[in-house]
This record gives sequence, structure tokens and C-alpha cells, in this order.
Amino acid sequence: MTSAQIEPGQWRLSFNEAETGFVLNTLAHLGRHYQDDIAKMPPALRAYWQGNISSAPGTPGKEVRELQADLTEARAELRAERLALVENWLREYELSEQRDPWQVELTTAERDEFIAMLNDRRMALALELGITEDDMETDLGEVRTEARRNGILEIDVLGHFILIMLGPQIYRG
Amino acid sequence: MADLPGTQTLPQIDVEEKLKSAFSRGWSVIVWNDPVNLMDYVVYVFKTVLKMNEKDASRHMWEVHQKGKSLVARETREKSELLVHRLRSFGLNATMEQEPA
Repeated sequence: MTSAQIEPGQWRLSFNEAETGFVLNTLAHLGRHYQDDIAKMPPALRAYWQGNISSAPGTPGKEVRELQADLTEARAELRAERLALVENWLREYELSEQRDPWQVELTTAERDEFIAMLNDRRMALALELGITEDDMETDLGEVRTEARRNGILEIDVLGHFILIMLGPQIYRG
Repeated sequence: MADLPGTQTLPQIDVEEKLKSAFSRGWSVIVWNDPVNLMDYVVYVFKTVLKMNEKDASRHMWEVHQKGKSLVARETREKSELLVHRLRSFGLNATMEQEPA
């Protein structure tokens, strides 16, 4: 995968055949995930999409309830918006004439949304499979189940894609 | 009551709102550690959402990583709420707390 700034605020992403397959698979998972019923998700994943807006026990109840309701509404809207974006991406692919490499041109805002969506997939995998920081450092050959191995691998590859897109903006400390 | 020459009477509601806002307690925005978000990504989100410079974004990222959380902003309730929503839209676990009286 490559990411190039073609003019200020405009980016071109390019995926080879294998990377395209990987991205399409991730988008398909995300499309289903954004439609899943949050109430039926595992607790950790449910917390990611709903979660508590305040961790302070002393914060007045009425204010927190209002804030919580706003957050729940905003998160639901975000899922609907991202589902529409997933559908756009898949439509773009269907309409594209050149698929190796598959190239997509995006504004900075669209690229940021794509990065955040890939990160949603990373978070969903980690929370669903209970993957920890230590797991991410473990040799894949030592991971017991295939689902966890695949999950760690996908989290890793998507992280690599994200870092490519962040490019020279990333922290170098 | 007529205004004196060169003066203007502000609507009462504006004055009250401004006084209320000036003396109201602020809200803290806190970002919590998680096992998956990349350090570089967190720095990028802090720069994008909180408009931090590289140095501050990196310092807060390390604080999240090492201490488990970092207080990243002190704002009004409305601004804090907006920041929490934005940080969460990027997948960071952010909460807000009212500062003690």
C-alpha cells in the first residue's frame, strides 16, 4: 500500500491485489459490525460503542444522564454514517476499472474517516477476542487458536496501513 | 431607560449567561489507556482533535501509556462534551469529569 499527497488536502491511496482483498474483507466486516445490535454485543465491545461518558462518581446525576444520552445518540449516528461510508467504498471498488493496483483519491477529511474506520475494526477485533498488549507482542506461532492468530494478524496489518497513511505526520520520538 | 451617549445597554440575558459561564466549574477531559491504539495514532489524534503541538501530544500520549490516563483538556461542559465525542469517534476511550468545587 502507498499513500501520496497529490495536492494540498488531497491524497491518493494505492493497493496491490492482495492488499485490496484485505481491505475489502475488512470493509465487509465493518459493514456488518456497524449494523449489529449493540445490545447483543459482548460487554467490552458494547462499552466501546456506548460506554460511560464520566468516570467520576461525584458528578451530578442529572447532568451525567444528559451527557450520556447525547453520547449514545452521537455514537449511533456515527455508526450509521460509517456504514454509509463503507457502502461508498465498496461501490467505488465495484465501479473501478483498474484494480491492480486499486487507487482511491480522498480529501484529508475522507482519509481521516477511513483511518478511524480501520481503527474501529482493530478495536472491535481486540475487544471481541480479548486481545491484550502482551498478546500483540507474542510470536504468532505461540497463539493457541486460529481466530486469535487471525485477529492479531489483522490488527497488525491494519495498524501498518494506518501508519502508512499518517506518513510524515507521525511521532518520531 | 435610554443609553447615555456613547454607551450601549447589553441585553440582561447575555450578562447573566456570561457571569454564569465565568464562575461555573470547568470540566476535565480524560483519555484512558487501551491495548490496541498505536502510540503514533494517539499522537495524531491529539494533534487533530485537541490541536496540540507535537511535543504536548507526545507527552500526553506517554502519560496515557505509562500512567493509564491523561487529563488532556479543561473546558466548558459543551466544549468538553464535543471533545469527548470527537476523541471517541477516533476510537480513543475519553471521559469527562466536572472539576471539584
